[in-house]
This record gives sequence, C-alpha cells and structure tokens, in this order.
Amino acid sequence: MMHHKETLGTMLARCGFGRRGLLKFAIAMTSSLALPPSVAPVMAANLAKAKRRSVIWLSFQECTGCLETLLRSSSPTIDQLIFDFISLDYQESLMAAAGSAAEQTLREAMAANKGEYLLAIDGSIPVKDGGVYSLTGGRSNLSMLEEVAADAKAVLAIGTCAAYGGIPKAYPNPTGAVGVEDLVSNKPIVNIPGCPPVPEVLSGVLVHFISFGRLPELDDRKRPLAYFGTTIHDQCYRRPFYDQGKFAKSFDDDGARQGWCLFELGCKGPVTHNACASLKWNGGTSFPIEAGHGCIGCSEPDFWDAGGFYTSLAGGSATGWKSAGIAAAVGLAGGAAAALSTRIATPLEDAPASPPEKTPPEKTPPDKLP
Amino acid sequence: MTDFSFLADDALVDALIMEIAGLLRRLIEHGEAGIIDVLGLPLPPSCVASLEQRLGHGEVTVRLDAAGASEIRETGIPGVWWTRHSNEQGRLVAMLIEVTFVPEILKANIADVVRGAERLPALTNVALRARGADVALRARGAGRPHDAS
Repeated sequence: MMHHKETLGTMLARCGFGRRGLLKFAIAMTSSLALPPSVAPVMAANLAKAKRRSVIWLSFQECTGCLETLLRSSSPTIDQLIFDFISLDYQESLMAAAGSAAEQTLREAMAANKGEYLLAIDGSIPVKDGGVYSLTGGRSNLSMLEEVAADAKAVLAIGTCAAYGGIPKAYPNPTGAVGVEDLVSNKPIVNIPGCPPVPEVLSGVLVHFISFGRLPELDDRKRPLAYFGTTIHDQCYRRPFYDQGKFAKSFDDDGARQGWCLFELGCKGPVTHNACASLKWNGGTSFPIEAGHGCIGCSEPDFWDAGGFYTSLAGGSATGWKSAGIAAAVGLAGGAAAALSTRIATPLEDAPASPPEKTPPEKTPPDKLP
Repeated sequence: MTDFSFLADDALVDALIMEIAGLLRRLIEHGEAGIIDVLGLPLPPSCVASLEQRLGHGEVTVRLDAAGASEIRETGIPGVWWTRHSNEQGRLVAMLIEVTFVPEILKANIADVVRGAERLPALTNVALRARGADVALRARGAGRPHDAS
C-alpha cells in the first residue's frame, strides 16, 4: 500500500527499486511515446517527485473487456508500480464498496480532488429516451457523465465504445449510443480505441500525464499520436509480402502457411490505426495477424458496420472502408509516404479505393471462413 | 575470405553512421551527449544488425540488473555505446546508441547513494551482532560476514 503523500521515488526506494530502474522505465516510455530519448532523465526525475493522482473510472454500456485486458496487462513490474501511483478511487467492478457506500466514495473522491482527477470511461453512453437504457443506482450514464466530467482535469475514453460508440452504436443503434466526445466538449479528451485497447497505451498516456502534467500529442481523432500515428499495415511483419504481391487466398492455402499477406482475406490493417503490430499483445507475444487472422479494424469508428470482416478492402461490399488504396496504391518505395499520409489521419472518404497492382479486385468473400 | 555481404544494406546505415559522427563531434567539442533511439527508427532488422556489426565491439560490456536485464556495451568507436534494455519478462523495451563518455544509467543516483550511506553502518559486525544476525546466519549455515581481524 502506498502512502498518500509519498512520492514515487520514495515508494520505489521502499519497494527496493533504485533510481536506475526508474530511469530505465523512463527510457522505455520515451521510446514508446516517440519522445526524444534525451527527455528520459527529465521524465525519470519528474516521476520520482510526482505524487498520486486520483482516477475515477466509470463503466457505462460495455462488456468489461477493456477493464479485463488492462488488469491482466502486467505482472508485478515497475509499470504496475506506476499504476499503484494513481489512486483508483472509484471503479464499480473492482471496488469492495457497493450501493450507497460506493456512491459516497464517488462523492468524496470528486470533492477531495476537484478539478484534478482524471476521469476514465469505458463503454458508450445511450442517449435515446433520456438515457434510460443504462442506469447505475437509478442514475443514467448520461447524468453521471455530465456530473463527474464537470470537475475532471481530463477525460480518457478507453475502448472503441467510449471513444466512438462502438458495438452498442452498431446499426440500428437501438439505445442511441454515442461516444464520450459527442457529449463532453469543454474538457481535454483522449481516445484510446480498440476492442479491447492495447493496455500499454493507457499506461503510456498516464505516465506522460503524471511526469509532464499534460496529455501527450493527439491526432485529429484525439488519439495519442505516438500509438495511433501509423496503421497496422505500416508496421506489419507481413508487409513485405504485400509489397511483393504475395497474398493468401484462403486461410489454409500455401500462401497462408508461408505467412503471406492477408489483404485478400479481408485484413483491415491498411486502414486501421493502432499499435498492435508493434506493441503486440499478451506481454509482447503476438497479435491477431501473427496468429493467422486479418485485422478487423476494431479501433476505427463504426468498424462493426463497415462491411464483412472477410471482405477485401479492394472490393466487395466493404463500402465503409474506402481508404483501401492508402497503402494499396503504393509499393515498397512508397511505404514511408503511406505511413506519413496515414499518420495525418486522412478522412476515410478522401482516399482512393484502388487495389494493389498485382491483386485482382475481389468481389466475394473467401470461401474459407473460420 | 572477408565477408562483405553487410555492404549490401541500404543507405540508412550510412546515414546513421554520419549522424553518430556528428554526435561524436559535439561530444568532443562541447562535451554534450547524444542518443539515437534505434527501436524508434523504421529500420529493418538487417540494417540494425549491419550497423551493429560495423561499429564493432569495444573494451567495456556492462550487465545491469534493474527492473529487468540490460546490456550496455561500448562499441569499437570509443564514446559510442550500444544499449539494450529488457523488462522483467525479458522483452526488449529499448535499444539505444548513446554517444557519451559514460552512459547516464551507469552512474549511481545521489538519492540511492544517500540511502546506501545510511544503511552502511548497519553492516558492521558490531551492528550485526547487536541484532543477533550472526547467530541466525550460522544457524542457517549461510556463513557470516568476514571479520575484520
């Protein structure tokens, strides 16, 4: 248990960590956040002097998958100590308190940290019919968000549902689900989309905020640029096969066995901004494409309604993914330009939908489905 | 026969070598250190291997155990260090080229030094005996600290 007023440096010393461990952690974080490596000593010094920051976490219209993945992100490491460094003052799934005691905890945390706490949200917010489709203690998500966001320092929208409405917003959206940024306009917002999101992205955002007192640089969709500045395709280890025009035609053909590009099997990597291909999952073990399945684009807005998971971006009915040509139109030499163009987060509608030169447009889903 | 196959790597390696040369000049003339984040560069593994091979091995290699293992190795170019940091699960989390006289992470931090100085008196035989630690150590067969005599 960490004492409320002690600094991170004091806590690390009490736990047997020297400052070298903190400097090393800062070096890794600056690399992860795409900051100049020379900033690491400053980050380490700031972290050593920093004190706990209150976090209030509200779960709305969600499946708890986001919380699950974040909880299982690390074993006892310095990362976890950083997480200990925040004070998670309210989280309904994790806290022991329930009922009126939990509501009292929320009120006390808000009052004690007015204007300074971070508000984390997972799940979308239903607004249809006054928001009656998701209630906590008789209060609508809409009402809770309005009240708790008012005194927050910043709002973190964790997962695609909180960021953009996600699966609850999928057609026909019976509850009128929306994302946080549709309702909160007067607070800094960070979107950390993904279904679920990559846990290291949340720790990166928190560390940046704790050490520098401000949020990291964001793109035009309010996503941390360091993690969402490139597409899955830009960093995919199968990219060389794409550039060579080598595509798996089904999930068990020779190409698939040799690790060829999954573009024709519906991979949405070329239009999906996320860090799965670089940070990977389960402690850096692998990511879906490495397991043989194409990216489904879960961190992009409205991915559920954007066409079949197994329909190629080059054609078929996947009309929601119109930027297939961002990477497809360029070859090996154009890779860097493609990365830059996607980093700027060009609206999907602006990009051409041309297939790779060596790939005939596919009009029908592959015959082999899992 | 000398293997020159590494020369096939592209101009990125040459560009990095020129950048290192510039950082070295700054270190020599102004005493300012510089760092290149190798993991943050869009380099294929073959380029990284080629660069590491060309820089070669120097006289110093240090293993650091702090929140996971690290290797800090001076390259064949004095003042140019190749650093690999892994986390506690053994995953590579940072790879740097540091251009400096001594990498910052090797220096003892003043806060750690102060805490160490505070602990030191407790390691004397007098202090250990006072706490009965020598008896406990002997009972466990773990030996005892060297006597000064």
